[in-house]
Amino acid sequence: MNPTPKSFFQTFARNRMGLVGLVMLVVAIITAVFAHRIAPNDPGDSVRVTIDDIYAAPGATHWLGTDDAGKDVLSNFIFGARVSLIVGFFASFISIVIGGVIGIVAGFYGGRVENSLMRFTDIMLVIPDLPLIVVIIALTKPSLWNIIFVIGLLGWTTTARLVRSQTLAVKSRKFVLRARAIGAGNMHIIRRHILPLVMPLIVVNTVLVISLAILNESTLSFLGLGDPTALSWGQMLNFAFGRGAMSAGAWWALVTPGFGIVWVVLALTLLGQGLEQVLNPRLETHHLSVIKEDTPPSPAAATLVPDFRQSRILLDVRDLSIDYLVPDQPSAHAVQKVSFQLREGELLGLVGESGCGKTTLMLALMRLLPAAGRIVNGQVIFEGRDLTQVSEEEITDIRWKGIAIVFQGAMNALNPVRTVGDQISEAIRQHLDITEKAKLDARVAELLELVGISPDRAGHYPHQYSGGMRQRAMIAMALACNPQVIIADEPTTALDVMIQAQILELLASLQKRLGLSIIFVTHDLGVVAEMCDSVLVMYGGVTAEYAGVDTIYNEPRHPYTQELLKAFPDLTRPGEKLAAIPGYPPRLNALPPGCLFAPRCPLAFDRCHVDIPALHRLKGSGINNMHVASCHLVEAK
Amino acid sequence: MNPALLSVQDLHKRFLAGRPSLFQRVEKFVRAVDGVSFELAKGEILALVGESGCGKSTLALTLMGLEHPTGGQIIFEGRDATHLAVAPLKELRRHIQMIFQDPYESLNPTQTVGEIVGEPLDVHGLAADKADRDERVRQALEDSGLKPPENFLHRFPHELSGGQRQRVVIAGALVLEPTLLLADEPVSMLDVSIRAEILNLLLEIRQTRGISILFITHDLGTVGYFADRVAVMYLGRIVEIGATREVLKNPQHPYTKALLSVVPVPNPRLRRERIILQGETPNPIDLPTGCRFHPRCPVAVAECKKVDPPFVQVLDGHEAACLLVRRD
Amino acid sequence: MQRSRYLLRKTSWALFTVLFVIVLNFFLFRILPGDPARAGIRDPRLTKEAVEAIRVRFGLDKPVINCFESLNPIQLGSCVVNPFQTQFFIYVGNLLRGELGFSFHSNRPVADVLSERLWNTLLLIGAGQILAIIVGMFFGIAAAWKARTPIDYVFLLTSLLAWSLPTFWLGIILLFWGSKELGLPIGGKATAGANFVTVWAEWKDLGEHILLPTLTYTIVFMGEYMLIMRSSLLDVLSEDYILTAKAKGLRTFQILKDHALKNAMLPMVTLIAINLGFTVAGAVQIETVFSWPGLGGAIFEAVGRRDFPVLQGAFLLIAISVIIANLIADLTYSYLDPRVQAE
Repeated sequence: MNPTPKSFFQTFARNRMGLVGLVMLVVAIITAVFAHRIAPNDPGDSVRVTIDDIYAAPGATHWLGTDDAGKDVLSNFIFGARVSLIVGFFASFISIVIGGVIGIVAGFYGGRVENSLMRFTDIMLVIPDLPLIVVIIALTKPSLWNIIFVIGLLGWTTTARLVRSQTLAVKSRKFVLRARAIGAGNMHIIRRHILPLVMPLIVVNTVLVISLAILNESTLSFLGLGDPTALSWGQMLNFAFGRGAMSAGAWWALVTPGFGIVWVVLALTLLGQGLEQVLNPRLETHHLSVIKEDTPPSPAAATLVPDFRQSRILLDVRDLSIDYLVPDQPSAHAVQKVSFQLREGELLGLVGESGCGKTTLMLALMRLLPAAGRIVNGQVIFEGRDLTQVSEEEITDIRWKGIAIVFQGAMNALNPVRTVGDQISEAIRQHLDITEKAKLDARVAELLELVGISPDRAGHYPHQYSGGMRQRAMIAMALACNPQVIIADEPTTALDVMIQAQILELLASLQKRLGLSIIFVTHDLGVVAEMCDSVLVMYGGVTAEYAGVDTIYNEPRHPYTQELLKAFPDLTRPGEKLAAIPGYPPRLNALPPGCLFAPRCPLAFDRCHVDIPALHRLKGSGINNMHVASCHLVEAK
Repeated sequence: MNPALLSVQDLHKRFLAGRPSLFQRVEKFVRAVDGVSFELAKGEILALVGESGCGKSTLALTLMGLEHPTGGQIIFEGRDATHLAVAPLKELRRHIQMIFQDPYESLNPTQTVGEIVGEPLDVHGLAADKADRDERVRQALEDSGLKPPENFLHRFPHELSGGQRQRVVIAGALVLEPTLLLADEPVSMLDVSIRAEILNLLLEIRQTRGISILFITHDLGTVGYFADRVAVMYLGRIVEIGATREVLKNPQHPYTKALLSVVPVPNPRLRRERIILQGETPNPIDLPTGCRFHPRCPVAVAECKKVDPPFVQVLDGHEAACLLVRRD
Repeated sequence: MQRSRYLLRKTSWALFTVLFVIVLNFFLFRILPGDPARAGIRDPRLTKEAVEAIRVRFGLDKPVINCFESLNPIQLGSCVVNPFQTQFFIYVGNLLRGELGFSFHSNRPVADVLSERLWNTLLLIGAGQILAIIVGMFFGIAAAWKARTPIDYVFLLTSLLAWSLPTFWLGIILLFWGSKELGLPIGGKATAGANFVTVWAEWKDLGEHILLPTLTYTIVFMGEYMLIMRSSLLDVLSEDYILTAKAKGLRTFQILKDHALKNAMLPMVTLIAINLGFTVAGAVQIETVFSWPGLGGAIFEAVGRRDFPVLQGAFLLIAISVIIANLIADLTYSYLDPRVQAE
């Protein structure tokens, strides 16, 4: 949201819309500045005018013809750029200064000051601009500076509103509190912390205000309220329209000035859009983006053939690799060759630090990857079908009915304008043949009761629920169609310890009662130890270690697992020193060669920095009775 | 024990819950901090543990003078620091510094590391000249484990990892050479493998500089190995306080017991019976009568509804505010 | 309870704004140099008696407000005037009775002159606004849904271009082209002096007259609405609950219809309200170009004729209409967004 100047210019340089706008604007400014050099005639030039010179068609002497007074349209047009730009820049300067000061003062100081300022702004915002400008100019002298002042003094309202809300947002950020904590005063905070972050918004807004000022000026002039001594594009149109260009068929006198206005305003609009796109990129997370479906290559022979032992395998993920496409760069490997099996009634823990690819992996199982994500290899076998290969139609049916997901942060995962009950019953209607309202309501009530929410709250909206209740509602929704697999993606991360314990207990009891198979994604080793049957530890998008829960905690073989456990505080062993893992997790766009953990590994030797370790199979325990780790040391033994 | 660096007595902070309007004439208050007393010795680490909404963050802001207390007294370095005018308040902030939870949010994205760390010096006019300023900034960066400082001075926060950012925040606090550090959940936003580093850094700073740390957290797990003493807060008040080992081994208050029981233990062989409190923390506008914990307390008796329990000494320095403690 | 409080607050705020506009409207015409007392009577051909007669007729002989003749503070001496005899109270009193004074130009009551025009403006704005919103929303939805594809770029650029067109200029061009190539009338609301045999013929005539103004209106405002719809829909589409809906196995169309549109409509409603001022500005220009007998045209004519009572009345009427439309938008919002109740 707040790029540094350098990265800002780099991104802007790649924005075609913004660049075109900037070039168009520069052309207009050059035209205005050098008007007296470029224009064939001076605007004051009244050469001997004969009847033939009035509305003369474009030709060799007058490239764009003449107007009602026999003057060269091209020359007037070029000089008109000056008036428009002068009005645009000066009027918007006034507006931006007023709006900026009001917005910052209101947003920063808050309380009564804000109240009265914003009330005033609201009133001014409601009063229609142009009629008021017309009234004031009609009552005063229509001179250029009058026009500039009136347009400027009335054009600040949107700026004030935008700047205020941005100031409020910046003010609530922690670095402002930090600045207070070091003893900084208000002026220092506004200058050093508020202004630099509000500035980008002001710049984008200025572009818009300039274009509005230019449009307002031309409208005023067209209505006959322009400065008679400064011939603007609007005035040219006023004269042409009012003095018979229409009946004379003199299209050039009508089209040319309008073209100028459109050119400048379009330039500013494109520039504004470009800046806006750079400062507020939001296409990255567009969930409905149209993806060109690449069929993943047929899978290589699986490196790991699963053992069928006690219970049925519901979900078999084999060698799944996922890339993110990055423009102008090689794609980033978010997940590489991950395999695991989920059995009936199994609770699998997926553990890893932020950015290790665990959420990407889960989204890929349901084919919910963002637009830039691609499954490049592997299979996801569910009910005998490979989910990476089935049609869009089939995967839509499998979603929620076969595999459901509980996201972290249920506030954002529930639609704020629809009731909780409605959102639950929507899932039922979509997948089960229940359409009767009574039956639907009964099912929703049953589900809510199951997760410990009173059924009479079905008609409430998400914002009327507490954080813990929202997560319960999400779980109820996930259970709605009796899915075989539930993915819980950090379901308790944002919650308080006690609420977290409640939700975990609920999940555990539901799992026992309904025999659910759950993939539990988390970064919390403690939670995994308390809940899960088997554990998959991921690091930098690859499997570090995969085994039964007891093996992972008591006989970990991968150094990453070992170090992670040492870094995790254990209440049962207070006073013991926590061991930190030096360094930082790898960035996806800069993966080290060899083993991804080698740069941080205390046991790394030469080979680790060169060769990528294979997944080695070890004797293990747990319901899958297997244990794999990707480490050269394991092989060495 | 050393003489107290910070002494807080019966501190209160309440906020008006919405302005009185046409429809509601009675003023209601959120009692964020409701009678908190404790002492912090020089070089000591006291952990303040509680769930969100228990008032621990408000307490920290009040100690910094960022919120004005509505009652009680704060004595810092022997002087009353409860209500200060602008100049002494600024002076106070040289000695008390704060570290926030979210290192992404607590750094201004448009400033370089050098500007961020040097800013407190500018605000207080501490550096004699540019060379002195540079030297102090370098020293602070080095002490915070950002070595060599030259590599970081001109970088922007978004170019750093989460752990490095938190180190920049710490450097920005150290540069003023404070005697008290308020650390508000300094590691909860960081990855597990990074947390230990930051905590070890804070321990090291305490060792080398003799700084006292008030460590605010919801995570009893980290407390065990980090703090000298621990205070458990519930609904604006401390319900149990004592030496860390003592409280963790022998918790007295039922709330402490419940909190301890739900801390996940990273060992599947130690799956235990957990005491899960039902419902959610009541709203601090309408506090329960008697003991504020009784509506959720698994062992509450009739008396708890009526009597607000006083502190009972369990051992030297270990106190708990529960009626049942006396009976044991 | 909560919603009724919200409605009460919004309504009383709108009333206060109306009050503010009335006061502003009164003083604007008294403070600025071209005030009617001087401007209207400055005609050298009038005799002294005639000037005095006009002053009495328009109430200009009364003090502006309580204690002083004009707004000159030096004259704040003794205060003997009955406050109810001042121009301000007479003005407010007249307003309450629906009287807006007399036109300098036609000498008819301003209220009569404007009331017939108000309906013409509402007809034009209504038709144009509805079309612009429908077309703009459709384009906006298509562009946001197909973000970053050629469809998006085409719609986006078209809308940016449409937004950049000066309304009056587009009107002129369309009028030029329409009257030359299509033989459409060059302005007005009905063919002058025509005697329609059937209702159908009358409607056809109205249709021919309203076609180009409405088209101008639609093109200019379509761009604005498209941009708003696209950007708020893009915001909504990157929300987590859209991913939830997708994970629930809803089809793309269902997600758009059931989860995205209502949420994206919230900013749309607010912005439609904020843009009402521009709508009015558009009406002034279009009515001027097409000689459409509406309020905007009245403003243009009144400016040309220095007919201040009409100008004042038209401004007041426009401002109050915009305030009412804003209030309606606020109320709509409160029904669309359940979170309003929580406040």
